Amino acid sequence: MLYNEKAPILFNEEAGRGIWIMTLDAPEIAATALPGQFVHVRIPGMEGHILRRPFGVYAAFPEEGTIDIMYQVLGFGTDHMTHLEPGERVEAIGPVGRGWQPPAGCKKALLVAGGVGSAPIHPLVGQLKAQGAEVTAILGAQTAEALVARQRFAEALGCEPLCSTDDGTFGRAGFCTPLVQEALDEAAASGQPFDYVACCGPEPLMKLVASMAEGAGVFCEVSLERRMACGVGACLSCVVDTVNGKKRACVDGPVFPSKEVVW
Amino acid sequence: MARKPRATSVNLAVNLGGLAMKNPVTVGSGTFGAGMEYSDFVDVASLGAVTTKGVSLNGWEGNATPRIAETASGMLNSIGLQNPGVAHLKEVELPWLADLGATAMVNVSGHSFDEYVAVIEALEEAPVAAYEVNISCPNVDAGGMTMGCHVPSVEKVVGMCRAATKRPLIVKLTPNVTDITEIARAAEAAGADGLSLINTLLGMAVDARTRRPKLARVVGGYSGPAVKPVALRMVWQVANAVSIPVLGMGGIASGTDAIEFMLAGATAVAVGTANFANPTATVDVIDGIIDYCEQYGVKDVNELIGALEC
Repeated sequence: MLYNEKAPILFNEEAGRGIWIMTLDAPEIAATALPGQFVHVRIPGMEGHILRRPFGVYAAFPEEGTIDIMYQVLGFGTDHMTHLEPGERVEAIGPVGRGWQPPAGCKKALLVAGGVGSAPIHPLVGQLKAQGAEVTAILGAQTAEALVARQRFAEALGCEPLCSTDDGTFGRAGFCTPLVQEALDEAAASGQPFDYVACCGPEPLMKLVASMAEGAGVFCEVSLERRMACGVGACLSCVVDTVNGKKRACVDGPVFPSKEVVW
Repeated sequence: MARKPRATSVNLAVNLGGLAMKNPVTVGSGTFGAGMEYSDFVDVASLGAVTTKGVSLNGWEGNATPRIAETASGMLNSIGLQNPGVAHLKEVELPWLADLGATAMVNVSGHSFDEYVAVIEALEEAPVAAYEVNISCPNVDAGGMTMGCHVPSVEKVVGMCRAATKRPLIVKLTPNVTDITEIARAAEAAGADGLSLINTLLGMAVDARTRRPKLARVVGGYSGPAVKPVALRMVWQVANAVSIPVLGMGGIASGTDAIEFMLAGATAVAVGTANFANPTATVDVIDGIIDYCEQYGVKDVNELIGALEC
């Protein structure tokens, strides 16, 4: 079931280096969103830009009836969003899409997020912990100030996530992929390999992590992003090439098993 | 909850070349699937008709991505008529629409004259109220717009489709021609029961930063509020040039937009790109038509058709 909620903005603040968190009062979506799903948002005051914008659900709070989304200021729309004040209303269709589908008996999971890709992967920590899995998270960002999800990951994990920054201002210097390879190798060497890898971030990162996971024989899922119009599966704008033909990122995804994706 | 239009004493029923519509609002083909994707938002059976996504005989893969680009008050698309083929429509979507009591108009596409006929023949036993013959898609290499730009090919494809069915045959026209009235008259002469227009305008967008086109196929179809003046002008021209009814579309997002098209000569209207921003746009447009009629004392929506004073 999809809802189209007229959702008052409760909070809209910069969390670090052009990355913002917005909290929406959207009780139906908050009550039903699954990890990895997204909302398709119509932003007020930019009617000349006729399309909605998709944002992964960073956190859903069913009791409060709220959801958080994370956005990075990249173009007209996201810049305009930074000027919205609490009390203004957006319209959000959601929860949309196929979320993360870790294997039923998942015991040990590796989550990898690059930049704002940390948002849709964050709720998966709680889901995996609840089913008793051991979870390792790796976060990559351009710089320390852009590691905005680190604290929330730490709270959900009960320990610090592994971090890297491109400029070396926090954690490992450089891209996060060496951390991923080391984690896979160490787990394999310990005799307790990962049985699930999930990755969301820039497409080159996802492609590389998918190939590392596949090389280690670990089932991997990735969350893909495409230019999107309707966001409900009708218009066929956002298709992804898969081994099973073209699939819609909005409703057949955004999460796909990495082996199905034709990169 | 799925929205329905509000109750009214205004007569909203119109007849589009033999297609009985409970109100004058359908959807632009390709913007609404066959309605399933929108059924959480609107009661698709409450629409005048559901015009389904263009269907070919054996299904097409469509074009490479990116397939869309947002432009000022509009968008470009280059989907390329991706569809799973007529058998899927017949087995899945049409029975679903029939069970709901919805009125289905099937948009028929083909790469060749014979393919249009084969699609119609495959659907003659299916619950279809009318066909919309798509000779206007700008995003495929064969068929589509190439067929709709010249009088001889328009006469041929419409004549062949006409011979294949007794059902209402609506022919969808491209605006990418020198004189749309010439094409409209050719379709009418070949047996069309109605004309729908406009399909998208051929357009293009460039990313200066990357020096690349924003669409993988370079060019695509332009739609949305920006094209409304062009669409209105063409609906008005065509309605004055033929005696068969016109289904008007191009940038319609509100009841007022719909009324403007009806005044210009449209018997019915289609809501297309507006569905993307607003999933209840169809019912909002119907409600807006009711509001207008009640406010201006219009008892029958048919009074508005071609009532433009000029």
